[in-house]
Amino acid sequence: MKLKQNRRTVPTETIIALIDVVFFLLVFFMLIGRMDATAPFEVTPPQAQTGRDMPTGGITLAISQSGRLALDGDALPKSEISPALAKALAKDPALRLRINAHRSADLRHVLPHVSLAEALGFLDVVLVVTPETSAGVGK
Amino acid sequence: MQLARRPRPQALISLVPMIDVMLILLVFFMVTSSYLNLDMIPALRPVDEAVSSDGSAQRRLMIRLDATGTPHLRTQALSSETLDHLLRHSLALDPKTQLMILPSGAAPTQALISLMDLAASTGVKNMRVLQLEARP
Repeated sequence: MKLKQNRRTVPTETIIALIDVVFFLLVFFMLIGRMDATAPFEVTPPQAQTGRDMPTGGITLAISQSGRLALDGDALPKSEISPALAKALAKDPALRLRINAHRSADLRHVLPHVSLAEALGFLDVVLVVTPETSAGVGK
Repeated sequence: MQLARRPRPQALISLVPMIDVMLILLVFFMVTSSYLNLDMIPALRPVDEAVSSDGSAQRRLMIRLDATGTPHLRTQALSSETLDHLLRHSLALDPKTQLMILPSGAAPTQALISLMDLAASTGVKNMRVLQLEARP
């Protein structure tokens, strides 16, 4: 008697696990990251151990080592910073201004902007720092 | 004769395009993102936080930062250890001691942040940064 041989079923590779892993990685990167405009020049924030966690929101004024300025990623000449800040503050009076200055930038490039922000009426001005001793380039 | 009707094959939703899209998104986020561990130090404090509540006279300590970023008390250069000791001693005498920092415009930002960091770690709550330079 000839026995009928069962057709061997080809084992299908399950791709559900792959989708799960990819999806979790995607959600992970989307959740832990905060999208922020990067400055068009190199900015390495100063190092400090007593800094507080950076809350979300606000605008970022980046200052390069040579004193070049960028507001939320857009390079601006010094003369246009004040009107741009005033305009942003007019839209949101409780706006936070983050000053992200290069650690080697002279204070003459940095501190006048704190005074300017105070004069314009900003109530919340913070200096961006990093707890890492060798911070990556915040470009 | 009764004809057997073939069962209609179930419509399958192909997952392959979804996987493609997700992989592309994942690679995009991994390649374009640069992750930085950033904190903040307040540069402006609300007035009521900086001024003592009872209006009593405070002990004030004026530290000058020279162009190289070295802190000075009057004319004497201070090391980190000396400054730490000085701040702790002042706070022991008066917990509301106000630290006034007068930096040179040529001092690097890191020097000011390091000084503020050291002061915060010793417990100084009242700090002011003075400027002699004009506004931009």
